[in-house]
Amino acid sequence: MILTVTLNPTLDKFYWVDHLPLSLERVEEEILIRARKSVSSAGGKGINVSVFLACMGVETVAMGFLAGHTGQIILRDLLERGVTANFVWIEGENRTNITILEKGKEYHPVKIHEEGPRIPTHAQELFLKKYRRMLKRAEYVVLAGAIPPGIPETIYKDLAREAKAAGVKVVVHAGRRPLWEAVKTGPFFVKPDVREELVVGDMPVRTEEEIVAAGKKAVEYGCQACLISHHITGDILITPEGIWEYEAEVPLTKFKNLVGADDALVGGVLYRLTKGDDLLEAVKFGMAAALASAEVEPKLCLAPAVIEHEMRTVEVRRKEDR
Amino acid sequence: MKARELMRRDLTSVEPDTLIHEAIYLMEQAGLSTLPVVDEEGKLVGIITEHDLIHAALPEYFEMLHSISFLPNLNQIQKRLKEMAFKPVSDYMKEVLSVHLDDEDLHIADLLIRKRLKQIPVVDDEGHLVGVIRRIDILSRLVR
Repeated sequence: MILTVTLNPTLDKFYWVDHLPLSLERVEEEILIRARKSVSSAGGKGINVSVFLACMGVETVAMGFLAGHTGQIILRDLLERGVTANFVWIEGENRTNITILEKGKEYHPVKIHEEGPRIPTHAQELFLKKYRRMLKRAEYVVLAGAIPPGIPETIYKDLAREAKAAGVKVVVHAGRRPLWEAVKTGPFFVKPDVREELVVGDMPVRTEEEIVAAGKKAVEYGCQACLISHHITGDILITPEGIWEYEAEVPLTKFKNLVGADDALVGGVLYRLTKGDDLLEAVKFGMAAALASAEVEPKLCLAPAVIEHEMRTVEVRRKEDR
Repeated sequence: MKARELMRRDLTSVEPDTLIHEAIYLMEQAGLSTLPVVDEEGKLVGIITEHDLIHAALPEYFEMLHSISFLPNLNQIQKRLKEMAFKPVSDYMKEVLSVHLDDEDLHIADLLIRKRLKQIPVVDDEGHLVGVIRRIDILSRLVR
């Protein structure tokens, strides 16, 4: 079973518009944008990974905090998609994240992300109790996404330590300090989120050399694999055995919705690892899953045949031996 | 159809040492009238329902009169509930029937009807809670 932790779940709302006016012609004007189409779905990095895995037939349990009417919608969506849900309920309301996709510029979405509810100490204690219980039945745990108010930035480090002690392989798919603190525990697989800031730990990751240096540092801490995005269709995998470049020649205009593509990547890697593939092949499938997801309007591509087909576009090159 | 295809994969539950006010809070927030009770391993050990809590809070002579219309207000029930609030769920939970992941829909429907249950927990080979089946889950499947 693959356990995913999403401490700050979201209701993802997508609006597709024909035109997105970014400035006003007259000061007294208001901007009215009519959506051609809109869709809502449960979201947050860990939840997206669970949705992907459940669709591929992998047993997965999603954990985190749910609140209010938005929490009910998130739960219902997860249950309908075959994800097992084990959440702590709190007062307030889960966040809603909005993505606006303009026709022809879908690769450049406008996003508004809410902060999410504050998590009370008592709810955190309840979560830990449930988390420890679920670890006993898990093969992998995915610690993913933003940390909500009220929870310390060291939370992933603590959760990773508990998982390692229970013999569960840890995957960290997050950014900034929460990621780097967890890296120090030597997790199995790390996928840094560098969307907001091109930094991993305190190291910049703007160039290939900087990415490799950051990945090597993660490997020094004991990580078995660190996968860092170089650009939108290129990732670099750093492992104790060597360094590989993954590259796909796909024009930006082919992308319809980039939200969740990274999560499809992590889900794809785990899916193939549970099937017995080696890491290099699993990452190739993960990258194909990310590309396939970005090329369709729904948040995640959930058609295995499409992903398999996309694997032809992914090239793998050995960059460096260790 | 088997239980694994019918069930809601919702593991919302409490433990025997969860306090009654925490269980009521969870029922309110999650919109559930019944909560499975699981042990440290996640194995099903009982169930606690809104109905049982209400009955526990009613005066003892309710069983005879079958009505609370003779009460001047709800103060007596409120007082009793406040006494119960910091007691553990184990004091009020009851043993529960459950079905296995591979049990057939006819067997599950029979249990729900015969035992007048609103929902029934689903367990795996080791007794871990893996989901619940509500009456409405079966009704909505049958009407499709």
